[in-house]
Amino acid sequence: MKNKMNQANHFSATAGIQSEMKRKSKIAGSSLNGWLFALPWVIGLILFYAFPLFSSIYFSFTTYSILSPGEFIGLANYKQLMNDGLFWQSIYNTIYFAVFFVPLSIIIGVALAMMLNMKVKGMAVYRTIFFLPTLVPHVALAVLWMWLLNPGFGLVNGVLDAIGITGPNWLGSVTWSKPSLILMSLWAIGQPVIIYLAGLGDIPQELYEAADVDGASWLQKTFKVTLPLLTPVIFFNLVMGAIGAFQQFTLPYTMTQGQGTPDNSLTFYVMYLYDNAFKYFKMGYASAMAWILFIVIMLLTAVIFLSSRRWVHYQGR
Amino acid sequence: MNNTKLNKLILSIGLLMVSVLVACSSDEESGGSSSGDANTVEVWHSMTDTSGEAIEQVIEEFEQQNPDIKIEATYVANQGEGQNEKLLTAIAGGNPPDVAYFDRFEVAAWAAQGSLEPLTELAEQDGITEDNYYGFAWEEASFEDDLYAIPTTTDSRLLFYNKDHFEEVGLDPENPPTTLDELEAAAEKLTIKEGNRFERIGFIPWYGQGWFYGWGWSFGGDFYDPESGEVTADHPQNVEALEWMTEFGQEYGVEDIAGFTDSQGSGAMDPFVSGQLSMKIDGNFGVASLEKFAPDLNYGVTPIPTPTGDNFTTWSGGWSVVIPKGANNQDGAWEFLKFFGSEEGQRIFSETSRDFSVIESVNESLGYTEDPVFAEFINILPESNARPVMTEGSLYWNALADAVEASTRGNGTPQENLEKVTQQVTEALGE
Repeated sequence: MKNKMNQANHFSATAGIQSEMKRKSKIAGSSLNGWLFALPWVIGLILFYAFPLFSSIYFSFTTYSILSPGEFIGLANYKQLMNDGLFWQSIYNTIYFAVFFVPLSIIIGVALAMMLNMKVKGMAVYRTIFFLPTLVPHVALAVLWMWLLNPGFGLVNGVLDAIGITGPNWLGSVTWSKPSLILMSLWAIGQPVIIYLAGLGDIPQELYEAADVDGASWLQKTFKVTLPLLTPVIFFNLVMGAIGAFQQFTLPYTMTQGQGTPDNSLTFYVMYLYDNAFKYFKMGYASAMAWILFIVIMLLTAVIFLSSRRWVHYQGR
Repeated sequence: MNNTKLNKLILSIGLLMVSVLVACSSDEESGGSSSGDANTVEVWHSMTDTSGEAIEQVIEEFEQQNPDIKIEATYVANQGEGQNEKLLTAIAGGNPPDVAYFDRFEVAAWAAQGSLEPLTELAEQDGITEDNYYGFAWEEASFEDDLYAIPTTTDSRLLFYNKDHFEEVGLDPENPPTTLDELEAAAEKLTIKEGNRFERIGFIPWYGQGWFYGWGWSFGGDFYDPESGEVTADHPQNVEALEWMTEFGQEYGVEDIAGFTDSQGSGAMDPFVSGQLSMKIDGNFGVASLEKFAPDLNYGVTPIPTPTGDNFTTWSGGWSVVIPKGANNQDGAWEFLKFFGSEEGQRIFSETSRDFSVIESVNESLGYTEDPVFAEFINILPESNARPVMTEGSLYWNALADAVEASTRGNGTPQENLEKVTQQVTEALGE
């Protein structure tokens, strides 16, 4: 677009004044048409995204309850949050989940992608198998795993029993509920694996050939060639994974009917936010929570971006 | 030149579309419903199964008596069971249904938000007074001197016990426990545990309808003083109740119990139905499911044991119908509310749904007082408590549930956890 416009400008400068005006009006006209076509989306974005987004900043300073506009109370919501036990508990739960889930999803995702990148017959079938769980809706996933992890008749404890281990009461135990959730989430890892596979396919074959000529072992090739060149993709999945982990909601909410049981060990940040907004008529309080979450995620993403210079290697640079 | 023509064309199409949209929305606002001039009342409810049939019968009879009013009933999953988001946004958006079936214990909170239409004047005009209903039901339907809901159903909670299990372990099936000591002794006899797995468990205090409100009241505690507005979750008797629950949990292993309850379901998978649980606290609504899934089960019901073996009590909740703020057809809605809450409407609904009516004479005329099981539930109603009528009812309920979870799992003492609830709810009320 820009190139074309520059060209046009350049053109018009050499031409006469009259034709320049004609061309300018033509350019203005075509961009107007563009805007007209984009208008429904532009209006939609402003009305349904930008407006609620920015008004929630204001609401976070009020006692807005959805049904009544509330009063302006300054920073009271934020101050109250600092003294809210469940707020801190939900932060602890969320960080616990993110700290374990994100690295594990990268390690397992990359390992899985490398396995699925081998040149074996019927690889398309294996790839499909590992992608399939991603297609299971979150609610169905929750129900499925509640059965699998059931301490009485669940398959997981059944298998553990068979090899002589008494399995824990997964989802009913404060200690094991979060690890159980991490396990479930790891099961639906297909999406990042697809991206890793694309990344693996991008690595030039010459590098491996050169490494072979130099007599590099499989391990050396993995750590000196594959992983460094996969870092841009890992970087992408790290950012997306961290954002997703902080917004964990559907799985624990469905599994515990919104209660975060046992003993609030599955009450995640967004779940508590949702309860405040829609159950306790505290949309202002919830808006304050949302903005704190936004700032935390922004900071975290900024840190990842800043650190990326040290460890992300782009090809051809 | 071509461009300007095109622009005009696009603009005119755009304007046309906008005007059509505006016409649509204004039509919806003024017309109320698609069926034009007919007097339509939109009803949202969350009833399925037997109560679903019951509401249909009520609507049918109402439409027959009021041929000029048409009821348009919509099923909204879980409405009133702590999931009122749809109703909430509909009211906030200015496009609510005319009538909503609503859990009575949330009426105060919603009324305080100005989201329900006050019914006081309408009720006065039509001579509907407190005398028509059980006192607690009317109280829950009111907030600060105004009526906001017409009560429709009520319930109570008792101890269900399996008579065959009692005989099997040598307990007298006609003499169920009345004190907590007897309850504990019976539970111990009835429990069969292998390793950390229960083959059968005698009793779980918090299972089914064993909510903390019930235990607090059974121990002689209280939760709220409506006069002073004081929250008393940490009432000494409440603390005792929670201490007892905690000890009970420790004795049997809380996580082992959780492992047991997680493996159970509802309906045919209810552990009381499958004989894996010998005693449980449940409401009269549990009877219908026993009749359906275990018609041959030999069981009895008895008041929930208390520390002293007397002063039995229970608590009652129940449902109501409300007119959300900004409803289009409030006159038609009121007609329906009035019919649903009348003796006639109550009789139709209660007979099919087997939910208790909020009108005493209806319960009598339907023979609940003669049925050996239902009579127990009816007889305890005069001693029944209702949850505090306050704006933070949902928060109080959840906070108490959290306190039970935390205490039984050894996360803080009962005293500490209940003090926390008092503080939390008091603060929320003060806002």
